[in-house]
Amino acid sequence: MNRVGQGAAAILPIGIAVATCMLLFALAGYDIISVILGVTEGALTGFGSFQQTLRWAMPLLLIALGFLFCLRAGEFNIGGQGQMMMGGLGSVAVALLFPGPVWIAMPTALLAGMLCGLIWSGFAGFLKVRYHADEVIVTLMLNFIAVLLVSWVTTGPLKDPAVRGETASTPKIDSALRLGGSDGISPTLLILVGLAILAAWVIAERSRMGVQLRYVGKAPQAARWQGMAVRRLKFQAYLLAGTFAGLAGAFEVLGPNGRLVTGATPTIGFTAIVVTIVGLSRVPGIVIAAIFFGGLQAAILFLPIVSDLPSSGIKILEGMIALFVTAEFLRHWRQR
Amino acid sequence: MEFLDQFTVTTLRSATPIVIAAVFGLFSIRAGIFHLGIEGLMLASAFAAVAVGTASGSAWIGLAAAIAVALLLSVIYWFFIDQLRADTVIAGLGLTALCVGGTAFAMQALFDQRGQMASTVRLPRVISGVDEGLLSYVSELTVLTWATPLLIVLAWIVLRRTHLGLQIAAVGDYPYGAVAAGVDASRVRLVAILLTGFGCGIAGCQLAIGDVAGFAENMTNGRGFFALAAMLFGGFSAIATALAGLFFGFADAFGIFLQLNDRSGLPTQFVLMAPFLLTILIVTISGAIRQRRDRL
Repeated sequence: MNRVGQGAAAILPIGIAVATCMLLFALAGYDIISVILGVTEGALTGFGSFQQTLRWAMPLLLIALGFLFCLRAGEFNIGGQGQMMMGGLGSVAVALLFPGPVWIAMPTALLAGMLCGLIWSGFAGFLKVRYHADEVIVTLMLNFIAVLLVSWVTTGPLKDPAVRGETASTPKIDSALRLGGSDGISPTLLILVGLAILAAWVIAERSRMGVQLRYVGKAPQAARWQGMAVRRLKFQAYLLAGTFAGLAGAFEVLGPNGRLVTGATPTIGFTAIVVTIVGLSRVPGIVIAAIFFGGLQAAILFLPIVSDLPSSGIKILEGMIALFVTAEFLRHWRQR
Repeated sequence: MEFLDQFTVTTLRSATPIVIAAVFGLFSIRAGIFHLGIEGLMLASAFAAVAVGTASGSAWIGLAAAIAVALLLSVIYWFFIDQLRADTVIAGLGLTALCVGGTAFAMQALFDQRGQMASTVRLPRVISGVDEGLLSYVSELTVLTWATPLLIVLAWIVLRRTHLGLQIAAVGDYPYGAVAAGVDASRVRLVAILLTGFGCGIAGCQLAIGDVAGFAENMTNGRGFFALAAMLFGGFSAIATALAGLFFGFADAFGIFLQLNDRSGLPTQFVLMAPFLLTILIVTISGAIRQRRDRL
């Protein structure tokens, strides 16, 4: 298939998923027009909306790029959620506990986030390549454990005494360490994310390792006969995935959130997987898909203001897209 | 003795949904489908059991609705992975996400409730009206817990002693051979997925109107994934899978016991981690065993 065909093949399932969802909402008696206008306003046209879209596109993009490496290597590492949360944990711990000059503390906090994500993902990778532990189940379980760890840290060791009620969180980090304000994006953050995209592209598309990863994923047996260290390459893919997801967590803490909050973004890791698939497992595609899903995420928070549709409606849409996205409509029809 | 009775009964109660989901999940995994939608199916059935049970005033109608919803969603899942050749793992995760969003949506749209809703009906108990001794604990067990051994045996018979069980295993292990031998692989996958859906419906119903009489957002909390781990650990055999599921019930009961009786100040989060850690351990052990067996 040519590029246009590939694009069409990627957009078609999303279009059908969106149409199905709208039909469901219409049948449930909601005003579709106001929902569509609400989503557009919340993601694009409203005041500060596009900033919010970019703000949510960032973590999605970083986790999706990490997931890409594992996917290329034939590993289904769906632990991006937990790896991101552990990254946030590492980052907030450094930012709160090791006061020092900003030019040391900030890079350290970023590195700590990446390192924690790397460890979390590397653990799953180790169990997979060493013991053949099913990576889907292991990474899923590590997500649950990360949620509990964050919940413990935010209600225990690093609890903000000023916060009461349901949401537990750490205190705000020193504002000098912040990479962006609470509106979510700043030139610094965008440049850093740009560098991350560039790094991912170089590793995935222009490096020896990227070629090897693809080989290992497509034909592991042949790769072994070629003398590639298949298990080590797969393990490295896990480390890369964890590093990118950990960076996403660090950006959340040092950027928009300024602290670590329990239950802040419970489904972003899942959405990021969909982003990778929708982006056709290519870096440019993933960037576009991340902005699209970032827009949906921004709309979730905005929608209740303008429409009576519950915000869980957007979650239905995301689930629907995930269900549809790998379906082969075109191939199926062509076969007939 | 009283403590032991209570502990045993808590184990059985917690294990019931996991064991049922795991044993019926075997039909899918034997047919070669790594069914991550189990979690979502259980959640959707739990909601259906509460919604329909409360509306109709009958727990049995709630159970029927739970099974019906799970079967319907199973057909959708089958259509995507078999007819449209969607990726089983991604479509399964999508189905689960759809159920998480869908139940929250329906709760708000239909009942104007957020977070959770109570049920006015509960599944009947086999033994009731006893206030003391062992029987007072046993009387907490629902009719579905009593039926679980029967369901396990049923699943075992279908898997091991019927033509259908053979066809399912053939489609899973060697699909081309099965098709060459004249098996309609699509139809067999549909039946396998429907059987799994049937089990998830029962499991979800037990979760919602058996134990707690209510529905809460995301109340399955990973139980569907525990069921998958139990299947892997049980080596895809019905009896071993059921025992592995029982072990999860034990871990759950142990966690509840620690939360109630521990004075050492261990944070609850660490106790709650136990089943997840256990799952990782189980998947690692079963992976290592399979690796060794394959090497021989």
